[in-house]
Amino acid sequence: MSSAVEETKTDIRVTPAAPAAKVANARSPVTRLLNLLSSVRFGITLLMLLVVFSMIGMLVMQTNVEGFDKYFADLTPATRLLFGTLGFFDIYHAWYFNVLLLVLSLNIVLASIDRFPGAWAYIRKPKVEAGPVWLKTQQVHEVVGVRGASREDVARRVAAACESVGLKRPRVTEKGTRTVVFAQRGTWNRLGAYAVHVGLLTIFLGGFMTNMFQRNGQMPLAPGETSSEMAETTFNLDDRGLQLGRSSMDLPFEVTCTDIQQKLIRLDGPITADNTIDWLTHIRIKDENGEHTAVVHMNNPHDYRGYRFFQASFINVGRARQIGLRLTPEAGGQPVDVTIPRGGSAKLPDGTQIDFVQFQPDFAMSGAQIGTASGEYNNPAAQLVVRTPDGKQERAFAFAQELPSGAPIGRAVAGYKFRLTSFEKVADAHVLAVQKDPGATVFYVGSTLLCLTLSAVFFFSHQRFWAIVEEREGGTFEVALGGDANRNQLALEDRFKRLKSAITGEPIEVES
Amino acid sequence: MSEVLKTPAQVAAPKIDANWRSLRLYLPFLIPTIAALALTLLRIQMGGANFINDGALMMLALAGYLIGAAFLLTNLYAPSGMAQKIGLWAAGAGYFFNLASWCIRWVAAHDRELEILQRNGYGPEQMPWVWRYIPFANLYDLSLAFACGAGLTTMLISGRRSFRFIGALSLPLASLILILARFIGDEFINLPPVLDSYWRPIHVGTASIAYGVALVCFAAAVLYLLKVGTKPESMAIWASVFAILTFITVGGQFGAFRLVLTGNYAASTVLEGSRMSIPLRVQLPWVGPALIVATLVLLAVSILFGVYLKKQSEKARAWGHRLLVASLVVQVAAIVLLVTHIKSGEAFGPCPASGSFFSKCYSTTQYQEFGAWLAGQQGMQPEQVKTLAPAQLRGATEEFVQLSGSRLRLSLNANPVELAALITAFAATLFASLFSFRTEKLRAALPSAEKLDGLMYRTASVSFAGLAILLITGAIWANESWGRYWGWDSKETGAFVAWLTYGGFLHARIARGVTGKKSAYFAVVAFLLVIFTYLGVSYLLPGLHSYA
Repeated sequence: MSSAVEETKTDIRVTPAAPAAKVANARSPVTRLLNLLSSVRFGITLLMLLVVFSMIGMLVMQTNVEGFDKYFADLTPATRLLFGTLGFFDIYHAWYFNVLLLVLSLNIVLASIDRFPGAWAYIRKPKVEAGPVWLKTQQVHEVVGVRGASREDVARRVAAACESVGLKRPRVTEKGTRTVVFAQRGTWNRLGAYAVHVGLLTIFLGGFMTNMFQRNGQMPLAPGETSSEMAETTFNLDDRGLQLGRSSMDLPFEVTCTDIQQKLIRLDGPITADNTIDWLTHIRIKDENGEHTAVVHMNNPHDYRGYRFFQASFINVGRARQIGLRLTPEAGGQPVDVTIPRGGSAKLPDGTQIDFVQFQPDFAMSGAQIGTASGEYNNPAAQLVVRTPDGKQERAFAFAQELPSGAPIGRAVAGYKFRLTSFEKVADAHVLAVQKDPGATVFYVGSTLLCLTLSAVFFFSHQRFWAIVEEREGGTFEVALGGDANRNQLALEDRFKRLKSAITGEPIEVES
Repeated sequence: MSEVLKTPAQVAAPKIDANWRSLRLYLPFLIPTIAALALTLLRIQMGGANFINDGALMMLALAGYLIGAAFLLTNLYAPSGMAQKIGLWAAGAGYFFNLASWCIRWVAAHDRELEILQRNGYGPEQMPWVWRYIPFANLYDLSLAFACGAGLTTMLISGRRSFRFIGALSLPLASLILILARFIGDEFINLPPVLDSYWRPIHVGTASIAYGVALVCFAAAVLYLLKVGTKPESMAIWASVFAILTFITVGGQFGAFRLVLTGNYAASTVLEGSRMSIPLRVQLPWVGPALIVATLVLLAVSILFGVYLKKQSEKARAWGHRLLVASLVVQVAAIVLLVTHIKSGEAFGPCPASGSFFSKCYSTTQYQEFGAWLAGQQGMQPEQVKTLAPAQLRGATEEFVQLSGSRLRLSLNANPVELAALITAFAATLFASLFSFRTEKLRAALPSAEKLDGLMYRTASVSFAGLAILLITGAIWANESWGRYWGWDSKETGAFVAWLTYGGFLHARIARGVTGKKSAYFAVVAFLLVIFTYLGVSYLLPGLHSYA
């Protein structure tokens, strides 16, 4: 006869009821607090609170979002006061949000500890016995009849059938007139949820470390410039609205920009983001360990000594990475074509040196001041310095457009007339983002763990099967089969069908 | 009763057979997938000039899904093996065309940019890698992939007889997504450089599958609610409330409830040659009145069904159903009018001072707000805009109208969220009405509540795992591109919120034993959050994911 426990509808270990001791001590405030903190119901409430706060953060524009100043200006004073007092404009950094995350982490830890013994029991003390009534309450169950020499012989063959369908280490238990064969697979799956929560907590830890120790800044760089600090932007909301602040942080090395490049889709198009394939910044890093070079481009950051360099933005004023010039001798003769890189020089056969000083995309002159009317390539011109072999130096300009004859700015210098024949478009400067984040590695570890464990938990399951063999009249035996799984009912049903087929020899029923 | 036990050696034979039989379960998914890949290879071989394009394939996919949905729905009401077979074949064809459309779009995007780059003198060694062109660049691409994910999930589970019904609900939803994609427009965009990363196919591919599975979970939850006795009338009340909220909030950029206040619906415009939506709205004759009538009728429906549920009044129930059907007719009229006006290409200008209610024109009452918007677009700070006099703002708009008024156009792409909301409201009321028709027969045709509950749990589990992987891959990509793995960007937060909700669903179920209706409500809310993340965040909230 099966025990009372066996006859209950659910396996006693999965019942999430609070232990009796807990109820007895419920009056103690500490115990009550611990009970609350380890309760899944409380955890779900915290999750829903997190949902609500996160949604508030989505719907109320946050201070670090572009356009916040306009949003803030459009709010009524009462709304500003209310949202400001409640911390809604920067809710993800509000004290109550952090407390919520902390309590949620605590809840995950305590609830896991609370429930671990139940899960561990599946591994340490598998339920190897079962009764026919209890078996009928399982997710899958069926009774089949077979012939055999003896109950032991049938049980042995049932055990072999279990192994043939991938079930591990079948156990055979004799109990009165019955023999119970128990087999299972995927027992580890019962611990999967704990591994998932460890992954989640590791991510939280990474997030916490990021919040505490992360430094973020920017470093604008044009070719030839060197910097050893990053500028950090701070957001402060006061009665006047959003105030942007700046501070700088010294880096333990020096970064020099040697070249910047912008790969465009249409070469005749603008240097805007929608016409760009990639931005490349060539840098040289120097410190007490020596020098090395690197290229930072989109989606390809460069790591050095715990710092990461990314492409962040660019100064959208058109410049030239290199220019092509045609120099026509004033006295007549064959024109000379030269190509000069940004900030570079070219020497002519007669010893004249031409320095490429600056490039103006939309040339404009105000008095003696040379500049650009806009950032676009409307009237491109190269600003040059010409040094003659006898040591004289003079300013010259090369325009892409034809200048009116006799225009003073287009006059010949050092015996040459200059014409800009080509140029490779590039931005004025690139802005690299610099990040130091000790929490990122922890976050990556937690993420990997979470992905692996979630896949393992949801795509596999702990399947248990019982077969009760009882002798019937005329040398026949009745095998009552039953099985359950903590998830993935379809896989359970499939294996159950295979097991039944392996025992009876009948073909598998497949849905079609 | 069988005769004898097999020996272990003999047991191996049915295993091979079982593998083949198990494989057969996945044939509805495998055959269209292989066929779509073969068609893509053919496209690569033949080139695009004489080959069917992705837009046409998308329309065929839509037709397949709609036909599939119609036959599978018919099969629910009047069970027929033939209707189910046709429905499943049509669904399979829809999934095939959907996947082929997405794959061929990939090839076409590659060809397009290759041609531009070659024209600009780039050599073969400078050509970007092929993953750059994977169609995950904008909301159109994502919609195509989302519908494909829903089709894929439907076909995967259609191998099992007991779950074939799911297409009756998942296919109409997939069709809705494709209709939305049609409105968004299938122009290729130059890929923003930040998106040119190998993380994009991983991250967005996960999104498509997770969203598709979530859609099937939602379908299972709705059918579960129906199965366990939730009255279609209470579903109709919820659908009506959603539709009413939609109708009273659409049609006004400057201030909500414009429809209610003015009685007119006005559509956003675009400037010729640009994709940017302009909030100078053009009123469309008769659309507003039709939506107001629909609102009033649905209000009456809600009241009548409320009375029925409270007092069991059969008269109120009967009238409620009549009016629900009437509201469907009015909604169809409103949508047809709206699309016809937008597509007609008829010229429009500023509204005359009087008698303009039934004219297609833009009202001058919005000039002041539009002037402020223009000033913002020109880089003025909000404080500066506030210092401008109303006359100055109106003057700025008049100047804009003089200079660019002739270039203003109506376009279905100008406000796809609004159109999607109108169509979703229609679909919600349509389903509420369908569920009211021969409800008991429908309930009997559905699988058992346990099976539906099990399907809901399984799909929610996969959605939860998928959304987790989506969040993590997104975080890693963000760390590679933006230098931070989490920044509470609205899209990130939206996906996080949906993930938390599925997390709540699973914890409530696994640890607290919550199943049934409560569980189904969780699944419905979680899917609404997924939709909000997918669509609402991109168009309604500012953030770094504005392209998709």
